[in-house]
Amino acid sequence: MTRFQLIAIRLLLLALMLAAWETLPRNGVINPMLLPPLGDVLAMLVQILGRAQVHEAILVTAAEVIVAFVIAVPLGAAIGVIIAEYDYVGQIFKPLLFYVFSVPKSIFLPMFILIMGIGFQQKVAYAAFSTVFVVIMSATAAVESVKADHVLVARSYGATRMQILTRVYVPSMMPILLETLRISMIFNFTGVMIAEMYASRTGIGHLISNWGENFQLPQLFAGVILLAAVAITFNETVRFLESRCSTWRT
Amino acid sequence: MQHVADMNLANLSIVRSEPARPAIEVANLSHIYAGRDGDVPALTDISLAVGAGRFVVIVGPSGCGKTSLLMMMAGLRHQTSGTIDIQGRPIDKPDPDRVGVVFQEASLFPWLSALDNIEFPLALRHAPRAERRKRATDMLNLVGLQGFGARYPHELSGGMKQRVSIARGLVQDPPVLLMDEPFAALDEQTRMTMGHELLRIWSQTAKTVVFVTHSLTEAVYLADEVLVMSARPGRIIDRIAVTLPRPRTYEMMATDVFGRLRDRIWQQIRKEG
Repeated sequence: MTRFQLIAIRLLLLALMLAAWETLPRNGVINPMLLPPLGDVLAMLVQILGRAQVHEAILVTAAEVIVAFVIAVPLGAAIGVIIAEYDYVGQIFKPLLFYVFSVPKSIFLPMFILIMGIGFQQKVAYAAFSTVFVVIMSATAAVESVKADHVLVARSYGATRMQILTRVYVPSMMPILLETLRISMIFNFTGVMIAEMYASRTGIGHLISNWGENFQLPQLFAGVILLAAVAITFNETVRFLESRCSTWRT
Repeated sequence: MQHVADMNLANLSIVRSEPARPAIEVANLSHIYAGRDGDVPALTDISLAVGAGRFVVIVGPSGCGKTSLLMMMAGLRHQTSGTIDIQGRPIDKPDPDRVGVVFQEASLFPWLSALDNIEFPLALRHAPRAERRKRATDMLNLVGLQGFGARYPHELSGGMKQRVSIARGLVQDPPVLLMDEPFAALDEQTRMTMGHELLRIWSQTAKTVVFVTHSLTEAVYLADEVLVMSARPGRIIDRIAVTLPRPRTYEMMATDVFGRLRDRIWQQIRKEG
């Protein structure tokens, strides 16, 4: 199968799904109260994008996602590198981290609310908390993916510690680091959404949760499309970068 | 116990040019490493001298410490006692001006092109870009890879990777080249070709080479002198001068002299087995 055919089939499949979304509720095959036709949803999307309340929610959610990401990724990466580089530290903390990693983070959400309330800080803290562990694990794997042979080669040509870091460690770790960025954004976004839907006064998650409770399905689906578009765009951008350095992933 | 065939130790420093001292001089080197169950002697009382421009091969059973010895000559590891002088000065850390190293697997950086891999040692010392390019291209041509500079390691065959690796070892023009089983991962045919190529490169560059291998045929084919090491703790149990004329040819492998030399090394190693 050629690449062209593959893309054609994918697009066809997408078109079929969207067509079904449009026609089935209109013909009454599916209850339009539960699944509003695509056309209505898109019209609603345009309408809500004009509302000041939605603008504010988008800004709040975006700020929460970005701040949590900026906290969780460097922090997790630093902890991960320390654990991987210092065997002693790793032996002490690794089991502990694996235990916490395996626990669903959402069960800690009530505690975050008790301690920090339901404002901006709590969203950021919870999202960063739910993201940091996966970053730690991936960063550890990234450091461990650096080949001892490559470090030895660099040393034999007189590389300084700094040069070994920038010319061997960083490029070696790049494929896994990019993958980490992508996966941690998924965790991070999920964290913000859950926190907003659980207890909040604003944010896209809060709006979606409200629309659902009030049975405003066109608004709900418009919100879903909006979020999906943002998440997919970020994910695919990083994936594109990843594929560009996949050749040195051995 | 230590045979010295055809020439004695003092003569080993006889060379093409005539420096006052051998290029490599190892004296009374011993190494003990701390194992789980106490100290483990790894190398015992190794002394050797390699004259400038000579090709010396070290063979020995697995785990005899020949790679360790090579890493010490490269300044990458420290011995417990004894001294190593390269070009008349002790080597206690890697010094690319004196020593180039070619490793077991090609150890090329997969994120760099062939040419960038060869340039790597020059890039570390911030050599001007144009000069780096020129020098690396010269080395690429020397190892017979004209036109392959833009390829990445995963686009090269095993033999080609080792050619790049040799070019990288030579790019700073060090007088000494240390090679740790560079062709071990190659198939037999490629290995023979690479051995022959290495001799061509060596004859064009006049480097002092120390080459570690498991292959007895390779040892005899390449060497001016073969040093045979014992099982751990590693000692030098035989020194065999290979008197075959140069340039070496594949036909020499069928000769009696070649067979006898090969057999003598094998007898020494077998005793250790």
